[in-house]
Amino acid sequence: MTADPAQTPTAAPDATQAAAALVPPEYVSQSLGRYVRASWAGVRSGNSGVLPVILAMVLVAVVFEIITPEHAFLRPSNLVYVFGLSTVYMVLAVAETVVLLLGEIDLSVGAVAMIGGVIAFKLVQQPGPGWPWWAAVLAALVACGVIGALQGTLTARLKIPSFVVTLGGFLLFSGILIVMLGGADGSVSVSSTDSNQRVIYDMVQGLIAPVVGWVGLAVVVAIAGAMLWLRAAARRRQGLAAPPVSLTIIRIGLVALVGVAVVLICSINRGRALVAIEGIPWVIPIVLAVLGGWTLVLQRTRFGRYLYAIGGNPEAARRAGVSLAGIRTWAFALCSATAGLGGILLGSFFFGEYSTNTADPGQLVLYAVAAAVIGGVSLFGGRGKAIHGVLGGLLIGGIAYGVSLLNLGELSTPLAYIVPGGVLLGAVMVDVLSRRGGGSVTRV
Amino acid sequence: MSDIPVTTDSEESATQDAGMAIDLTAAPEVAETDVPPELVAQSLGQYARAWWLRVRSGNSGVLPVVMAIVVVAISFQITNSKFLSPQNLVNLFEQSTVYMVLAMAEIFVLLLAEVDLSVGLVMVLGSVVVVELVQPNGANWPWWAAIIAALLACSAWGAIQGTLVARLKMPSFIVTLGGLLILEGVSIIVLGGSLAGIGNSRFTNEVVLYDIFWGQIGPVTSWVLLVVLVGAAGTGLWTQAARRRRHGLETPPRSLTAMKIVLMAVAGVALVAICNVNRAHSGTIEGVPYIIVIVLVVLAGWTVLLQRTRFGRYVYAIGGNPEAARRAGVSLPGVRTLGFVLAGLTSGIAGVLFASWQVSLTTNIIKSANSYVLLAIAAAVIGGTSLFGGRGKTIHGVLGGLVIGGIYNGLYLLGVSSEWIDVVVAAVLLAAAGVDVLSRRGAPRQA
Repeated sequence: MTADPAQTPTAAPDATQAAAALVPPEYVSQSLGRYVRASWAGVRSGNSGVLPVILAMVLVAVVFEIITPEHAFLRPSNLVYVFGLSTVYMVLAVAETVVLLLGEIDLSVGAVAMIGGVIAFKLVQQPGPGWPWWAAVLAALVACGVIGALQGTLTARLKIPSFVVTLGGFLLFSGILIVMLGGADGSVSVSSTDSNQRVIYDMVQGLIAPVVGWVGLAVVVAIAGAMLWLRAAARRRQGLAAPPVSLTIIRIGLVALVGVAVVLICSINRGRALVAIEGIPWVIPIVLAVLGGWTLVLQRTRFGRYLYAIGGNPEAARRAGVSLAGIRTWAFALCSATAGLGGILLGSFFFGEYSTNTADPGQLVLYAVAAAVIGGVSLFGGRGKAIHGVLGGLLIGGIAYGVSLLNLGELSTPLAYIVPGGVLLGAVMVDVLSRRGGGSVTRV
Repeated sequence: MSDIPVTTDSEESATQDAGMAIDLTAAPEVAETDVPPELVAQSLGQYARAWWLRVRSGNSGVLPVVMAIVVVAISFQITNSKFLSPQNLVNLFEQSTVYMVLAMAEIFVLLLAEVDLSVGLVMVLGSVVVVELVQPNGANWPWWAAIIAALLACSAWGAIQGTLVARLKMPSFIVTLGGLLILEGVSIIVLGGSLAGIGNSRFTNEVVLYDIFWGQIGPVTSWVLLVVLVGAAGTGLWTQAARRRRHGLETPPRSLTAMKIVLMAVAGVALVAICNVNRAHSGTIEGVPYIIVIVLVVLAGWTVLLQRTRFGRYVYAIGGNPEAARRAGVSLPGVRTLGFVLAGLTSGIAGVLFASWQVSLTTNIIKSANSYVLLAIAAAVIGGTSLFGGRGKTIHGVLGGLVIGGIYNGLYLLGVSSEWIDVVVAAVLLAAAGVDVLSRRGAPRQA
């Protein structure tokens, strides 16, 4: 669509370059220098990966640190708060990424997430069902998965456009959400005193003591480092193309550095008064688990490869024997289940209270889509990773919180709409333009 | 007027060309179903058969939505005998008008196989602008200038979104999703404080705006207007058919033209008769509301634009097959941008009606305006407009809006809470989209 017919003859030599740029640079380069050059070629041809979003995060942090009153943005207490606020966007963005990879969209993630949260909260009520927390969480995720499977079926089998199905789903589940809460001013909450409900309350609010945090960090870095190293070694042993040793070491070092920075920031006492508040929020390992799980599914399983195949070219995937309807339905189901987890975290972030004012489901989905696209997931399918959703969610949360720190008075309400809208449009514009620069363009 | 035969002539040859082109690729009976039945039928019986053939092949036109209106009317009348009372019917028409105009806005974009999720907030922007501009202690513009300014603002917004979609090739649902958010913020800024209204009867400008929704034409004037309108439309239909016949062109049978005129007259008489019943609890409120006339004018204007102008034909061409339209020399970005501008303009008209309907605007009204776009899309799709482009007419928006208004009104009369009404409307939207998809599957030619 974007390729001008007149350009087609000259596009042929570009195509080989573009194809080279599509191969991950670690497989084509044998030394660090070559790796850097290959990465740069990828960036220039539109495969910029996580680079733009990290640059944007640095920019946002610096700008808000300068313009917020008292330069408060980068205080440890604010950073930890931003992370808590962003977890919902991160998880929802990862959920949205799954569907975006197919070239579809799910506009109902916000409403479905809140449905999931309310189900989990309702099931642990005492007096009430009084389920154990893990059963309630599981039931919520399954319920959301079923909702997703229904919407996926309408899209994949009946071929109703996904934005219409999920737009209808958004309205439907927003209505059902209010009904489940028992009317427009109903609410449901989990208490921090009941030991069973406290687990859900603590998902975002709870803290891991600094000492445990350091130990956990050491374990995580050791496991991740060992896995990276062993995999590279295994590839090298079998004579496969493997990343250079120096690159593997740099990566392990980076993981350790980021981990140390996070634990260090979280271990600073950020309590204002006599009570010490320090430690790592539980939600950080939870988000890491979601990220790790989805990265494994997307990068290392057949299902993941099929998602990319369908997103890249559905007809080619179908001819290669991929069941389009089945994969699409599963993707919608897993997207909604992941969103359900996000909904539980949302309630936990608001101190275990769920009401109709907790969040606007319409705004949640916009933030989720914007986060995924800002992170580097393409709206046109076939391009994106789980990490993009996480980074994009952090960026969106940072922007939202930074704007709220500015004390703009009357302008703060409208800006809460304008800023994400503008960011979404900007991100999509970059996506569209970078695809134009890229060799393969599949918009029909 | 003198060039009308020429236009008809070229239209006719275009139809013939299309018929020949189809003959090469598809079975003859397929081609037949794509030609409007009034052009192939020489008698009423033939017309009925040709029409039935089209219905079966997925070109069902307004039949499903008319049936839906009948079903809605009967089922609500059974559950609540007030539903079909003149008072409630007029109320229902009035409530539906905003949905109708918004659906007509959405149809321009749907015909192009795009979607505009921002129509609800463009409407809000229009209403906020119009209300703010007539405030006596503010801008204090005359009402007509405020309306023009609101329509211009909405059209300009449509142009921006259209440009992003048509020239930058950004997906329309994302552009308009982001646009919706930005407009929500902009509208809150334009509104300034938390409340602004037009309910003060001491200021002529506010009274005029208020009367757009709440005023009505006197009963006698209503009858006179009806006679004039039906007379004009009837003469127009009849002379057009007569002229075609004189030139030896394919024409609808005389009995069909007569039937159409009679149907129009009956519908008009019923409408005026219902509106002329006194519907006030005390005092007198009778006559046709201005707003019904306004909707009919918008309907007529956009029908002419889509059915009788080159722009309209280009819209259908792009919606049917953009690549074919491009190769035929249609400027895709130009027509697409104009489609979004017209959607913005029509949403602006809805905004003026909305301002008049709500009387005072608040931040909460702005925040809850999100669901209007769903109602607009649902109304258009229920009316028979396809989500996939190239199929639909302006009248579908009006009929679909009536169904939505009827569902809202009927459920409200039954005491159903607003969240359940949303659930029902969502289900209706999904059902309409499902029918749209299935009917396209039934159709022999798939885009």
